[in-house]
Amino acid sequence: MRFLFKTRYHDDVRLFRHSGQWFWYSVLIGALLLAPVMASDFYLGELALVFIWAIAGIGLMLLVGYTGLVSLGHAAFLAIGAYAHTWFITHGWPLPLALLKASLITAMFGALIGLPTMRMTGIYLAIATLAFAVIIEQIIVHWVTVTGGFRGLVVPRAEFLGLDLGGSMAFYYLCLGILIGCLLMALNLLRSPTGRAMTAVRDSEISAQSMGIQLARTKTVAFAISAGFTGLAGGLLAHKLGYLAPDAFSLLLSIQLLLMVVVGGLGSMHGVIFGAIFLGLLPQGIAMMRDVLPPAIAQVPGLEPGIFGAILILFLIFEPLGIHGRWLKIRRYFEMFPLYRKATYKRQKQFLRTERMR
Amino acid sequence: MSGTLFSAHDLNIRFGGVHAVRDVSFKVRRGEVYSIIGPNGAGKSTILNLISRLYDTEPGGQIMFDGEDITSLAPHAIAHRGIARTFQNTELFEHETVLKNLLIGRHVHRATNLFSELLFSPAVSRQEVAFRRAVEDVIDLLDLQHYRNQAIASLPYGIRKMVEVARALCIQPKLLLLDEPSSGLNPEETEDVAYWIEDINQDFGATVIMVEHDMNLVTTSSDRVMAMADGAVLTIGKPSEVQSHPEVIRAYLGD
Amino acid sequence: MEVLQLLVSGISQGCVYGLIALGFVLIYKATEMVNFAQGDLMMMGAFIAYTYVNLMGMPFLVGFLATIVSMAVVGALLERVIVRPMIGEPPFAVLMITIGLGFVLRAIAGAVWGAEPKTISSPFAGDVLRFNGVTLGYENLAIIAGTILLCLALFGFFQFTRLGLAMQAASQNQLAAYYCGIPVKRIYAFVWALSAAIAATTGILVAPITLIDPMMGFVGVKAFAAAIVGGFGSLQGAMAGGLLIGIVEQFAGRYLPTGFADTSAYALLLLMLLVRPEGLFATIQRKKV
Repeated sequence: MRFLFKTRYHDDVRLFRHSGQWFWYSVLIGALLLAPVMASDFYLGELALVFIWAIAGIGLMLLVGYTGLVSLGHAAFLAIGAYAHTWFITHGWPLPLALLKASLITAMFGALIGLPTMRMTGIYLAIATLAFAVIIEQIIVHWVTVTGGFRGLVVPRAEFLGLDLGGSMAFYYLCLGILIGCLLMALNLLRSPTGRAMTAVRDSEISAQSMGIQLARTKTVAFAISAGFTGLAGGLLAHKLGYLAPDAFSLLLSIQLLLMVVVGGLGSMHGVIFGAIFLGLLPQGIAMMRDVLPPAIAQVPGLEPGIFGAILILFLIFEPLGIHGRWLKIRRYFEMFPLYRKATYKRQKQFLRTERMR
Repeated sequence: MSGTLFSAHDLNIRFGGVHAVRDVSFKVRRGEVYSIIGPNGAGKSTILNLISRLYDTEPGGQIMFDGEDITSLAPHAIAHRGIARTFQNTELFEHETVLKNLLIGRHVHRATNLFSELLFSPAVSRQEVAFRRAVEDVIDLLDLQHYRNQAIASLPYGIRKMVEVARALCIQPKLLLLDEPSSGLNPEETEDVAYWIEDINQDFGATVIMVEHDMNLVTTSSDRVMAMADGAVLTIGKPSEVQSHPEVIRAYLGD
Repeated sequence: MEVLQLLVSGISQGCVYGLIALGFVLIYKATEMVNFAQGDLMMMGAFIAYTYVNLMGMPFLVGFLATIVSMAVVGALLERVIVRPMIGEPPFAVLMITIGLGFVLRAIAGAVWGAEPKTISSPFAGDVLRFNGVTLGYENLAIIAGTILLCLALFGFFQFTRLGLAMQAASQNQLAAYYCGIPVKRIYAFVWALSAAIAATTGILVAPITLIDPMMGFVGVKAFAAAIVGGFGSLQGAMAGGLLIGIVEQFAGRYLPTGFADTSAYALLLLMLLVRPEGLFATIQRKKV
């Protein structure tokens, strides 16, 4: 077991709490940077997609895991980011600025949905976000001059200052770089007053108000930031897909994003990464399963969502802390060996107390 | 420094048919410990909720704090004015550690904006260290060192109450509202409450308004006491005077 | 008169939304859980009815009753397997698990019955009623009549029976309900069984009009909006919300440009959430701290 001796207040504030963390993360980043040397184009593409999901997941996790606001329509933010970014690119804006502007526009939409939902909690909020997503989908379908409606929109190849960023290696590094940047920003946010205000709002609104935290503002900011990150992911996703159509950003995608943060582990950035890896690997896994299973099951139209649903159910019942939670348990087991006890992580049942009196 | 820090005039509030607080007026001097006592249902906690603006008083009522009229202030703004409170059933941030809870208490002293926080500028870093230092002072005051990194959910009840008070103190309030600080505590812990109320009042320099049932605690700690029953004020005065007031005795024991 | 026709069609469609919303609210009122798979339970009910009546040749009424019983059993089973482990977990987790359940049900339906639309040989199909220039299919009439009957029954249940009271207690404070000797788990099983039975009824009534296919449960999303508009937690609210959305949709479809009919339900929802978030019949109050 590692014992931390802190000697300065700064030790509590900084990002990496001890040298061990520095070491392992450096190894990981090193491995990721070297991956293009060893991996094929296909896997680089898959990893880039995982990175994109992770960026979107950062946004969703900040909203759901840290501020406690459920969003059932996050695919709408991906859509806004994707279409906005494509519009800017096709109108001559350089790639970084287009991404930035798309992100900001999506953040604005986030604030827009955040404002009316200030007074809403739990299920009401979830449904409001769903309604919002449906309305956004309709706007995309009907605003044909900008989005191409059902005909779809072709996305130009990514490039900046003459450098082609569309090839698998370049795009891989682009996504990796942006992901690391976003992770750092999110982690910064979480160790500063705004991040704490968000978790305060999640845990006790009345208390948060007594601490001087303005509920409406915090929730709106949470929505805006979340949408901003997701919009950024949307811009990158546009290049990855190459072609945008309204049905790519459906309710199923919103649920998949939620699946990612829940399965990954709600309430931690590690959870985002685990969840993104899971989400990226799942289609491959299902495809492989399809080859193995008898045709009667394999050909079923709703198989992929059905498996999503089953996995979601299994995780929620058996491992509600997600993959990150399971990882913590495993790590603790080895740290405390042979003194580990299962009771450490036994779930305390919180018996239901009605939310109708808040 | 003496003088009136806080005054309430003609506070009134009804919940459905119940007139929970009727025409309550009182003044609290700077630096004193002021207790509100009364049988259950007297309206004591409601008064605290009115002061911290979780409820609105009916038109005609007025609340003055440090020379400012706060009758219509938004609930989140009172912390910025220097009023902090605890809750009868602790409302802590259950999923966070003690340290995080206390740091949230420093929120009113935040001077950085969202953009600099995303980038964790040197100013934000300095602010974080300053917050951490201020929080450590409060931890020292209330002896919470052992519990710094424990999650709230794993703490015993007595410690939770202390964390709740500590969190309120992190605001560095001029006025601290305590809602039944000794409820759920054993006699030994209740004695400790008296000690730290004194510490808060003397060392920290906060004025305290306390709703309390434990008469020992009230007598030991308070400068003045206001007795209430059925939403109205019965009498105000020194603890010994109020305790022996015939109406107060009648309210507690019945006729 | 056109307005009357729109109104009547709206009421008929609104009844469908209302019935599904009723199922939502029932579960919410009793267990404070949100069952996102309610629409899919309706879908299963319809498929099971199809199996009994069309594939196995049972007479309609027998098939109807058999479906109700089967779905009640399914509901109780689902409660036991999926919902009960979730007792004591935060509401978000329950929401997610029911979303997952919806996906699984759709996959199962697709596997067992296939994706091609089916229909039930129902005695209500075909004929129309005409009055005052309004045309109303018998199926629609059946829907409206069925809804009224069901609402009356449920109202009586909650108002006048001990079980109804126990259900309300269990939804407000589980631990206290346990202490009072209320068999919380059995009540939950019952509520889910009841909700599934209502969903099945809705499915059977709706099948002649919309046809049966695995995706028919998506109407549940609009029903959700209806429940919220009406005020989640109130049975009258669920029906009122459903009727309101059904009527607004019809008028939007007629008088507004295309595409607006679909979004009108959601626009109404957002409007409601802005103006009066507790819904038409509010049940949320402020906690005493």
